[in-house]
Amino acid sequence: MKAMLFLGLTLAISLLASREFLSMHRPDEIFPSQGLTASRMLSDYFPALKSTPGDTPVYVYEGKERGGHILILGGTHPNEPAGYITAILLAENIRVAKGKIIVIPWANASGFTHSDPQEGSPQRFDIKTISGRRWFKLGSRVTNPVHQWPDPTIYVNPMGQKLAGVEARNLNRAYPGKAHGNLTEKVAFGIMKLIKEEAIDLGIDLHESAPEYPVINAIVFHENSADLAALAQMELQAKGYEFRLEGSPPNLRGLSHREWGDEAKIKAILMETPNASHGRLKGKPSISLIVDGQDKYYERASRLGRLFVPFGPEGIPLKSRVGRHLAGLNAILKSLTELEPEKLVEVENMPDAAEVQARGIGASLR
Amino acid sequence: MRYIYHLIVLYLTGHLIWSLVREKKFWKQAGIAMVLIMFLLRLFLIE
Repeated sequence: MKAMLFLGLTLAISLLASREFLSMHRPDEIFPSQGLTASRMLSDYFPALKSTPGDTPVYVYEGKERGGHILILGGTHPNEPAGYITAILLAENIRVAKGKIIVIPWANASGFTHSDPQEGSPQRFDIKTISGRRWFKLGSRVTNPVHQWPDPTIYVNPMGQKLAGVEARNLNRAYPGKAHGNLTEKVAFGIMKLIKEEAIDLGIDLHESAPEYPVINAIVFHENSADLAALAQMELQAKGYEFRLEGSPPNLRGLSHREWGDEAKIKAILMETPNASHGRLKGKPSISLIVDGQDKYYERASRLGRLFVPFGPEGIPLKSRVGRHLAGLNAILKSLTELEPEKLVEVENMPDAAEVQARGIGASLR
Repeated sequence: MRYIYHLIVLYLTGHLIWSLVREKKFWKQAGIAMVLIMFLLRLFLIE
């Protein structure tokens, strides 16, 4: 009798837990701006992704006049919210008068269906918008193991680089992808196909990293984009933003800033902002840590000189990190036009970095 | 590979249910029930 009671309780708890876990498989909402000219899926470029958990929306904003073609990627790592929130912010606001901007807000869609095990991270965080509270998923750095399993002991990526097994599910180690590879490699292959079919000139991959990681507040660039990155850095410095420049290491293969440049010959840039909820030194994971970005342990680490960015009691909130990405994007687009005027991309209603930092992200979201 | 995984998890889940039914001590049953939840989620690949 007691055993039956326990069995019933087990089933009830399993059902409740299942509901929570399975809710992560529902995609977040997005309300693209009126400037949207085409809404596609990645499988339109690489049909093998159709009806797979790797398929993801692609939003195209094309001007009436010709200009540069830009790809902006958020959610390569679904536990780096400033990247995909910036992409969502763009998708919900911009109109393109000249050139073309393609936004993929959730590049690794499968990674958004689960969270990192043993991290205790919240499944979602909320941002106050004009129409109320809006919730966004916080996923995992890598593809869901339910969608791609098992991990090899050693992963040899499409460029022959040997990595730890778990990296087989890391989209930013899988470029240029493989048509018949694992799910993550297929997603990377789909993005490469999009880059080629849409004749992309410049790809920008939006990321975040831990404050104790040296590549932070940084623009990582392929060597073919060195001028562009340097000019953008000067532009940012003039506006009071400190960004460091990091060249893409030629021997580190499979990353967007390496393979987009090598394989597709486009200008390739990756940007990093500091995210305390991402790091190893953080205290209790919480929604506040993601959105407000305050953490007493990081504050202490900063006082001890252990971090690569200043971290005060005010923390580094999501609005500042998204603001940095927006400022970076603006500077890169402006610098591209200076270097190659025929690649001008004229964007209207681009969310302003200072305004996002002052009024919050929600003011620019629906 | 997936079927082998399912079979292994199903086999262990069966053992856990059997242990739960046979066990008489309350806390041991509670412990088994806790492990069983995770095995049930694994069995249905809920991640």
